[in-house]
Amino acid sequence: MWLTRFRREGSGRTRAALAALSTAALVLSTAACSGGTGGETADGKTVVTFSYLWAGPEAKALEKVIKQFNGSQDKIQVKGVSNPDMQKQLASMSTANGTFDISDGFGNQVGSWASKGVLEPLDQYLTSDHVDTSDFVPAAMDQMTYQGKTYAAPIAVHSFQLLYNKKLLADAGVQPPKTMTQFAAAIHKLTKVDDNGNITQLGLGNPDLPSSITTLGYAFGGTWNDPSTGKPTADKPGNVEALDFYDKNIVQAYGADHVNRFVGGFGPYMSAQDPFQTGKVAMEIDGEWRCASIASTAPKLKWGVTQIPVADPAMAGTTQLTTSTLFIPANSQHKEEAAKFLAYMVSKDGMLPFTRALGNLPSRTSMLDDPIYNDLHNFQPFLDSLKSNKVHALSSAPSGSEYATDLASAIDSVNRGKATAQQALSQLATKTASYDQ
Amino acid sequence: MTSKRPRARATLRNSLVGLAFASPFVIGFTVFIAYPIIASLKYSFTNFNLFQTPVNVGLGNYATMLHDSRLITSVENTLLFAGIGVPLNIGLALAGAHLLNLPLRGQPLYRAMVYLPTIVPVVVGAYLWRWLLNPQYGFVDHLLRAAHLPDPNWLLEPGWARTAVIILSVWTVGGTMIVYLAGLREVPMDLYEAASLDGAGVLAKFRHITWPSLTPITLFQTIVLTIAYLQIFAQPYLLAQSRLNEATAGPGDSMLSYSMYLFQSAFVNLKMGYASAMAWVLFVFTMLLTFALLGSARKWVHYANN
Repeated sequence: MWLTRFRREGSGRTRAALAALSTAALVLSTAACSGGTGGETADGKTVVTFSYLWAGPEAKALEKVIKQFNGSQDKIQVKGVSNPDMQKQLASMSTANGTFDISDGFGNQVGSWASKGVLEPLDQYLTSDHVDTSDFVPAAMDQMTYQGKTYAAPIAVHSFQLLYNKKLLADAGVQPPKTMTQFAAAIHKLTKVDDNGNITQLGLGNPDLPSSITTLGYAFGGTWNDPSTGKPTADKPGNVEALDFYDKNIVQAYGADHVNRFVGGFGPYMSAQDPFQTGKVAMEIDGEWRCASIASTAPKLKWGVTQIPVADPAMAGTTQLTTSTLFIPANSQHKEEAAKFLAYMVSKDGMLPFTRALGNLPSRTSMLDDPIYNDLHNFQPFLDSLKSNKVHALSSAPSGSEYATDLASAIDSVNRGKATAQQALSQLATKTASYDQ
Repeated sequence: MTSKRPRARATLRNSLVGLAFASPFVIGFTVFIAYPIIASLKYSFTNFNLFQTPVNVGLGNYATMLHDSRLITSVENTLLFAGIGVPLNIGLALAGAHLLNLPLRGQPLYRAMVYLPTIVPVVVGAYLWRWLLNPQYGFVDHLLRAAHLPDPNWLLEPGWARTAVIILSVWTVGGTMIVYLAGLREVPMDLYEAASLDGAGVLAKFRHITWPSLTPITLFQTIVLTIAYLQIFAQPYLLAQSRLNEATAGPGDSMLSYSMYLFQSAFVNLKMGYASAMAWVLFVFTMLLTFALLGSARKWVHYANN
C-alpha cells in the first residue's frame, strides 16, 4: 500500500529512495565508526583508550589504578576497556586507525609482533618519561627487545618454583629436594600405586607440562634459544636431559597409560578439585599466581615453595620467567599520551597495587622487598627468585608460537611413550631449522 | 513513442527504488562477503602476516601444503571424522526416526528429548562431555566399569580422543532425526497397504517404499553433514582445549581438524596467506565432493513426481 502511494507521488518517490539509501549509509557509517580511537573529553583532555585482556576481579584492580592515574592528570584521560578476545586485539592492530592506544599481551609475542611492524618502539618515550629500564629484571627486559629496540614494558612477571605439599612430604619422610638425584628419589617416594598398578598419588604433577620441561631444561644447564639470535635450540644436551628425567622417573617408571589415566582424572586447574590442592599430586613446578589462588580456593592446604632442583649446585636459583606486557600499537593516534600512562603503570604507584591485587610479581628489582606483598603466603621465595642471576626466559623470536606448538607436540610424544627424549627433541630441531626467521 | 518513454522511465525508476531498498544487503554482501572471498584468493598466493604488505609467492603456499606434516595429520583426522560421522549420523537418524514414528504414549516428549541436545550451545555440550568422559569421575567410564567393559582414557589416548569428537558431534543427531521423521510421515500410507496386500514384509517395505521415499532427504542430509564434518571446528577445539590460549590439539594432534589448523595458521602463527590457501583447497574440495554427490543422485535418489 505505502509503496504504491510513493509511486504515485513524486516527492514520496524521492523520499523512498532516500530512506533506503540512508539505511545503507547508516550500515556503512556504523561499521566505519568502530575504527578510530579516543578524541577529547568535554574539558579538553586527550582520551587514551586502554584495551586490556584482563577481566573480572583483575580488571577491577586495573580500573582502580586507571582511576588513580586520571585523578593525577589534567591533560590525559585513560578509558579502560576489558576485551579478552585476542583475535579482536590483532584485528584492530591490522587497520590504519586502531581502536586502542595501549594494550597488554605476553612477553613471548614481542619479537613476533615487532618484526611485523605492529608495535611502536618505546625507547624514546621511556627516556623522556624517565623510566629507569636498568631497574627491571634483566631477563624480563630481554624479552621486551627485538633487534636492539624496546617494544613493550613488563607490567608483571611470573617465575617458576617447586611447590610441595608439606603433609605428603612429611608422611613420606621426604625433605624438599635440592639436587636432581634428591628430586628423582622424592618423586619415587611420593608416588603411590595400588595392587593393579594404578597410580593413586603422583610425586610430580604438571599443571602445564611444556613449561615444567622448559624450566627443568634450564635447571639441567640447557637453553631453548640461541642467546644472540633467538633461534630455537631444542636439542641442547640439558634440554634432552630434562625431558629424559621426566621420561625415566615418571613415564617409564609408572607406565604412560597409568600416568595419563591418573592425569586424565584431574579436576580443573586452580579449582577446588585441583590435583595439587586435593593432595593427588605431591609436588609441581608452577608460578607465583598460585599463592593468591590457593589462599582463596584451598586455604587449609599446608604447602611450601622451594627452588627448582638443579643438576649442579652451582646452578642453584635457576628459574624460568614469563612476562605480562604493556605495549603501544603502531597505529595508535595518541602515542605520547599512551606512553605517559605506560610510564605510570610501570612506576611504583601503578605496578605495586596492580601486581599485589593480581598476586603477580613486580618486574622491577627495587620493588621486590616491598612490604605490600608480605601478607601473601609463600610469595617471598618467588620474589627472591628474581634476584638470582640465573633467571631465564624463552626468546620472543618471530617463530615463537610455532616453536611453542611443536615443542608441546614433542613433549607430548614422550609423555605418551611414543618417543625417547632424544628422538623427540632431535626431530623437533630438524623441524625448527625450517622456520622463517 | 511518446507513450513508451514515460513507461520506460517508470520502469527505470522502479528498478532504482528496488535497488535502493536492496542496497543494504547488496553493499553488505559485497563488502563483508564477496570482497573477503576474492581477497582471500589473492592472499593465498602471497606471504601475508596480517600487518605488512603481502609478498607474492606464487603457488608457494600450495606447494608447502604438500609437505606440511601437521596439515597432513589434520586432513587424515578430518576425513576420518567425516567418513565415520556422516554415515553414523544418517544411520542413527534414520533408525531413531522410525522409533519416534511409532504410535506410543508420550511420543511428543521423546521427540523433544531427542531434539534437546541440538539446542544446547556447543560450548556447554563440550564441557559437559569433558566431565562425562573423565576417566576417574566420569559417568561414561563409571557405567562401562559397572558393565565390566574396558574404560578408556578418553581425551588422553589418540584413538579414544577421536572417538570422543565423533560422539560429541553425533550427540546432536536429533536435528537430522526430526527431518527424517517429517519425511517418514509424508510417505503415503496407501503404498504400505498395497505392499501388505502383495505380501511384503517389514524389510521389503523399508527397502521398496520407505528408503526410496526418503532418498531426497538422505541426499540433502548427506551433503549438509559432509560439509559440516569437513569444516568441523568447535567440537575438537573445545575438547582439546587446555589452559590459556594454547594451540593444543589433543594427544598426538589426534583432534587437529583441518579448520582448527587453518585457524591456528591464521591467528596463532599469523600466516594469513597459508591459511587462505588452505581455505581455498577446502572450498574447492567441498564443492567437488558436493557435485559428485549431486551427480550420483541420478542413480539412487527417487523424487515422488518422477
